[in-house]
Amino acid sequence: MKRKGWVLLFGVMMLALASGPASVYAAEKTAAFLDLTDMTGAIAGLAGQASRITKATFDYFNERGGIDGVKIKYIGVDTRYDVARALSAYKRYRRTPRLLLANTIGTGLGKAIYPLILRDKIINYTPGDGEFQARLGRTFIYSTPYQDGFSAALDWMKEDWQKKGNSGAPIVGFTSWDNPYGREPFRGGKEYAAKIGVKLLDPELFPVGSLKHDVWLNRLAAKGANYIYVCGVDPTPTNVIRDAYALGLTKKIQFVTDYWGPDRAVGVKAHAEALEGSVVVSCFSRGTDTLNHPIMTKIWKKYMKTPVNEMRGSASIGFSWAMHFIEGLRIALKDVGYEKLNGEAMYQAFMKLKGHNVTQGATGICDYSPSSRRMSRYVKFYRIQGAELVPITDWRLAPDAVSLHKF
Amino acid sequence: MRPCGIFDERYTQDMAILRTKQHWALLVGALILLYLFPLFGSYYLVSFLNNLFITIIVVLGLQIVSGYCGQISFGQPAFMAVGGYASAILTLKAGVSFWLALPLSGLIAGVFGIIGGAPSLRIKGFYLAIATIAIHFVTMWLILHLKITGATQGLNPMPPEIFGFPLDTDERMYYLIATVMLIMTFGARNLVRSKVGRAFVAIRDNDLAAEVMGMNLYHYKLLAFFISCFFAGIAGSLYGHLIMVVHPEQYTLTHALWYVGMIIIGGMGSIPGTFFGVIFVRVLDELVLFASPFLSEAFPWLGASPAAALGLSAFGLVLIVFLVFEPRGLAHRWEIFKASYRLYPFAY
Repeated sequence: MKRKGWVLLFGVMMLALASGPASVYAAEKTAAFLDLTDMTGAIAGLAGQASRITKATFDYFNERGGIDGVKIKYIGVDTRYDVARALSAYKRYRRTPRLLLANTIGTGLGKAIYPLILRDKIINYTPGDGEFQARLGRTFIYSTPYQDGFSAALDWMKEDWQKKGNSGAPIVGFTSWDNPYGREPFRGGKEYAAKIGVKLLDPELFPVGSLKHDVWLNRLAAKGANYIYVCGVDPTPTNVIRDAYALGLTKKIQFVTDYWGPDRAVGVKAHAEALEGSVVVSCFSRGTDTLNHPIMTKIWKKYMKTPVNEMRGSASIGFSWAMHFIEGLRIALKDVGYEKLNGEAMYQAFMKLKGHNVTQGATGICDYSPSSRRMSRYVKFYRIQGAELVPITDWRLAPDAVSLHKF
Repeated sequence: MRPCGIFDERYTQDMAILRTKQHWALLVGALILLYLFPLFGSYYLVSFLNNLFITIIVVLGLQIVSGYCGQISFGQPAFMAVGGYASAILTLKAGVSFWLALPLSGLIAGVFGIIGGAPSLRIKGFYLAIATIAIHFVTMWLILHLKITGATQGLNPMPPEIFGFPLDTDERMYYLIATVMLIMTFGARNLVRSKVGRAFVAIRDNDLAAEVMGMNLYHYKLLAFFISCFFAGIAGSLYGHLIMVVHPEQYTLTHALWYVGMIIIGGMGSIPGTFFGVIFVRVLDELVLFASPFLSEAFPWLGASPAAALGLSAFGLVLIVFLVFEPRGLAHRWEIFKASYRLYPFAY
């Protein structure tokens, strides 16, 4: 092909690109959800699928006419867990008409984007950093704060310890990634342990990306831990328990992981034998609960085009992001109507979500209110049995550990 | 670029960066355009340029230590973090003015670079690359475990002020960042033409020969590290005050790979190559950022993740293409263009 031919081809391709998506929403009433997610970075395994389910949930409702006639425009951007890239993407899309919420995956990003969120008067989702509850603002935590979840686990451990015929309280070890997320449960969790008389050992923190965890596990075992709480995004917690199993520690120590612990389609699938009996505390439904959720399975079948038994725990996270947005949008539209719909209206609407059963069981009752930025105060416990996560409790109220810490 | 028929008659002419009146006119025009840009450019473009200029400063530092002195370094993000944290601590906790904290953060990063780089300078090539990766992890570990750095929570430096006028928006910071970038470029351009710059090149090309000629390798290698880290520190300070947060998650090893990729694509051992590389990669990345949501919407069967992975794939592909077909980078293409322009309208 001659040079002119190439230029022509390039021109036609550019025209085709430029003429596509704008028309999709041009004539419709829309509200935008900006998902600054990680699809190719450190937590892509968790965030990628969660984001896909979020989009699928919006598609599901859009196909049914939207929320009171307003369709949701999902804008997904891969940030690669890179703060600078996410900020750049936010600046690129902040002028999107009726952009109401930015979902920021990562504590660092949540903090970096906050001045812009304040300036634009929209709201944002961020993971479980309790500081956002301690200092109320426009950031809504999309889980139960990590310290609250950890404290709920401490309660469960004490209960389990006594149920097994022991007196007093157990000795609890803690091991996690050495990063802001990994240390967060201690900010309030430590104070709660002291309050209920649980002896909490010094945390054993390991670098993100560690493949073997024997050193840290042996240290905790040598200090007499009866229970070990493991943090990290799967497969990290699976690998920790796999190493504990190889060391023979799972026979004498009960392992409990946090919300991002072993996933039925990742860690559990790979190391079912080693994980057998381990417990997961989660503010999102997991395992069989997720598989039996009527709307999520319907969405999964229609949009994900893979068997339902491949659905991961992260599905309920993405579903929860979408459903809280939808419920907030519904209230905002009722309060101010479409013409006045903006970030401020959404902010006010989110603070009215307390008490709503937003996700139909995929999470606990919502807690967003003028005094709460917690998605929910409820957590549920699951045990890994026969390569599946089986619920062992109903939704339980997690202690308020955030208020115990001085931020 | 020099048109045909213009010859140097004096040494000063030969050394001049700007040789003709057209050069001066172009420079003045470019500067006017640069400084007037926020008046007509969108907020997004201004913030994009801020990021671009900060990246240019970091990569200029890397160009000096790697491109000119031949010492492979993956430590730039760590040194950028040192500069960012130093500036935040100096302004927030010691009450130092930003205008003093800015050069100090460069110096602190430079000194940190010397301390961190000193043992590394007895090793070469891949071993040095691994050592600089180790420096990255040590730095991040220190940041996470020291109280003064705010540990896991980071720090929130305030925007700089000029006579009480806060530079608290991207548009206002633009003037400062653009000016610092120009000064750093001017400094780097002149440094590499000096005795020190020639020593760096001699060490890069054959360190044994350079040593035999009487050069103190250790001195020059340390100097290259210091200058490189100084640049990174200045960039870190500017970035921290621009986004008003310094946090351990901002400085990842992935950035180091991108920076090295930028100098490979732009051209190792070339100051204009730094600009070419940074602009090429950042613009490509930005286009992908724009195209990904569009692609996943226009072609739903593609899914969100593959569309997102497009950026990384594009970067990898471009890097391979450059390594295979143009290992000397875009700067070499620029040199070829300049040479042909100098002969124009003659063929040779």
